[in-house]
Amino acid sequence: MRTAALSFIGLILACAATRGASAQGEELNVAAAADLKFAIGELAANFEKQTGNKVNVTYGSSGNVFSQIQNGAPFDLFFSADVEYAKKLEAGGLAEPGTLYNYAVGRIVIWMPQGVKVDLNAQGMNALLGAVIQKIAIANPVHAPYGRAAVAAIKKSGIYEKVEPKLVYGENISQAAQFVQSGNAQAGIIALSLAISPAMKDSGKMWLIPTELHSPIEQAAVVVKNSRKKEAAKAFLEYVKSAAGKAVMEKYGFTAPPAGEVKGKSA
Amino acid sequence: MASELKPGALIARIRASRRNKKSPPFVLDLSVEVPAGITILFGPSGAGKSTLLDCIAGLVRPEEGRIALGEKTLFDAETRVELPPQQRKMGYLFQSAALFPHMSVEENVAYGLDKVPANVRQEQVREILEAFRVEALRARKPGEISGGEGQRVALARSLVTGPRALLLDEPLTGLDAGLKSAIVDDLRAWNAAKRIPILYVTHSREEVDALGERVIALENGRVVSSGAPMDVLDAPRRKRLAQAAGFENLLAGTVLDLREADGVMRVRLGETACEIEVPLGYAAVGNRVRVAIRAGDILLATEEPRGLSARNVIAGQITLLERRGTMVIARVNCGVMFLAHITPGAVRSLELTAGRKVWLVLKTHSCHAVD
Amino acid sequence: MAGPLLLSLKLASVVAMLLLVVGVPAAYWLAFSRWRGKFLVESVVALPLVLPPTVLGFYVLVAMGPRGPLGKLWIAFFGHGLAFTFGGLVLASVLYSLPFTVQPLTAAFESVDRKLLDASAVLGAGKLRTFWRVILPLSIPGVVTAVVLSFAHTMGEFGVVLMVGGNLAGVTRTASITVYDDVQALDYAAANQTALVLLLISFAVLCAVYGMNRRVWKLWPAS
Repeated sequence: MRTAALSFIGLILACAATRGASAQGEELNVAAAADLKFAIGELAANFEKQTGNKVNVTYGSSGNVFSQIQNGAPFDLFFSADVEYAKKLEAGGLAEPGTLYNYAVGRIVIWMPQGVKVDLNAQGMNALLGAVIQKIAIANPVHAPYGRAAVAAIKKSGIYEKVEPKLVYGENISQAAQFVQSGNAQAGIIALSLAISPAMKDSGKMWLIPTELHSPIEQAAVVVKNSRKKEAAKAFLEYVKSAAGKAVMEKYGFTAPPAGEVKGKSA
Repeated sequence: MASELKPGALIARIRASRRNKKSPPFVLDLSVEVPAGITILFGPSGAGKSTLLDCIAGLVRPEEGRIALGEKTLFDAETRVELPPQQRKMGYLFQSAALFPHMSVEENVAYGLDKVPANVRQEQVREILEAFRVEALRARKPGEISGGEGQRVALARSLVTGPRALLLDEPLTGLDAGLKSAIVDDLRAWNAAKRIPILYVTHSREEVDALGERVIALENGRVVSSGAPMDVLDAPRRKRLAQAAGFENLLAGTVLDLREADGVMRVRLGETACEIEVPLGYAAVGNRVRVAIRAGDILLATEEPRGLSARNVIAGQITLLERRGTMVIARVNCGVMFLAHITPGAVRSLELTAGRKVWLVLKTHSCHAVD
Repeated sequence: MAGPLLLSLKLASVVAMLLLVVGVPAAYWLAFSRWRGKFLVESVVALPLVLPPTVLGFYVLVAMGPRGPLGKLWIAFFGHGLAFTFGGLVLASVLYSLPFTVQPLTAAFESVDRKLLDASAVLGAGKLRTFWRVILPLSIPGVVTAVVLSFAHTMGEFGVVLMVGGNLAGVTRTASITVYDDVQALDYAAANQTALVLLLISFAVLCAVYGMNRRVWKLWPAS
């Protein structure tokens, strides 16, 4: 009787151990910037179908995720909206060496909900000056790269003094999008990926802000050093790097990263 | 019931249902007339006395009826007249005095006089505080004075506004005899001077005797009788006396103790140590009563019984057993002589003989206090 | 650091006072009404206790927007929206702290001995006078509790402010938001500073009031 029980327990333990060993049927925990919601969602689904590994994604502001990883949050992969956070992780020894990957360059747009009577295409940045635009939502530039880019674009266009009093700050780029989509702000500078998402695409109009007006929003990913599923994590990253992966990214408004690490203009 | 309205009399003809957590629901259905002077509203707890006062004061709305004070209609279900309590110009003294705990005695008494100019108000307050001998307490808070003083203050508060009728709900409960008589004196003095209808609720016979010019007896929401105190309170006893003719045992006794909550009173039989419990009557402690008990209602036991619902178990000795046809009469001496009827079969099985020590068992409700 | 803290204090004070104005009539009705549907109102009042602040903030944001019922009215009246303004924060905070005011007030009013209210009525006092001279003085501990709770609750409020505020310095950037921002920007020193001061202020307010409340209770015995 006792031997039977022991062997039963042994069997269960063996199964559990085997689960940990192979890269098949893994469960990955990925932290991704808010603007990646739809892109990573599709990438994760495809990856799951292909390899049988499940991908759990948590979305949040990159600064937040960075702090969490610093404090030991159990993420396997970090898709940051700002290359700086990924670089800091690497410098702090928290990233798996050699895995830093510049997966996309983000773009920003001016977005206005239907019903705001401004000719966005004709006016471009100056559309923000209109009297009917009382509030402009952007992400908080203190810790969101999209916010910093928005401020840079406004400054470069020479309209910062006039526009600054109208700015309201979302906690992250998604909240900025929510402010403008609910109509509480009449305009917003948000990520292209959010603007073309199904939720926002048909409810407003947008104008792509030229890349000359701001530094490129380089977005980088990194495998977390403390991950216990590095093989699977690297596999996912490879998939993202692949042609199929890039196609999905482009579909959702992320332009392909430039070759190498040069901060150059994108196509 | 039509009656000529004596000037200033309070009449109430009402039907009200009462549903509160304390007692089972019942319907108050009565018609009373309260002329100037003190009318006692008498009855056991749950009879509806407080509800009647609340209806008259305007705190409870009756379903049907009419309430009027002199020529002024306070409530009329048919013509949809209903004066709120604020406008009925009544005084109401609650059992608990209900003094405002955060105000001084003086402020309490002045509460109803807010529409009176300040100097007149001060004068009236001073006068009534003196009349009720609570002037020295004027600056104290209700928490700092005794129960009796509190009731005097509450009385002063109700009367200073010059009400046209006064309602009192068992105001002397829980006060000692000295205090009671002091307040009774004050009330009678006021009554002699002002002569307004006063409706005074109590279930104490002493207060009836001390105060009552008229008594209305209330039971289960209905008036059972009204008139002079003697008629109202003694009539039931006289009735029972007539019935007592069919009782074999008619024992003299003295009332020792009234237990209103249980509905009984303890009576000492004769000069003995023998005490029994009988249903509560309209007697006061110390009164002489006679207790009537049917011989057929008495049980005998040869051992001291325990665990019985009957409250009266009396030890005694059989002095005589006498056979009368199918019945045996037992005479038992318990200090007073009892007559009990038992069967011959019982005599045999219990082996009863003269001289045998036995216990008599009497249910409370088999004992009838009469006089 | 002073700016956001002062803003938090200002918000908490305004909200606590406004809630008294709104809460006293509501509590009076809840304490004395005998309407059978009263439980519905009680549940609505208690809702912010169980609703996540972000949910509340979200719905308030939508309601304030140009498509929402409140937004339409406000914009028609004032020409601009309510979101991202101090007024918007006040509205959202009033809703969020509502039960913290109404519940202690209701309990206090209900605990006043009904016989005192009867006595007051028979002595000629109308409902307003009875409230002012009897019910309210006997409910002071409850009033104090209500003000303190809603003040403290609003001082610490984060979720609702985040959803509705827009993080504007001097207008909607309260102390709790600043702490969060500092952490996000990895400036832990600044976050610590602000957090500590916030904690000390809240604690001091609570101590002062609870300490004083005991003495107030002793002024007259429970009726």
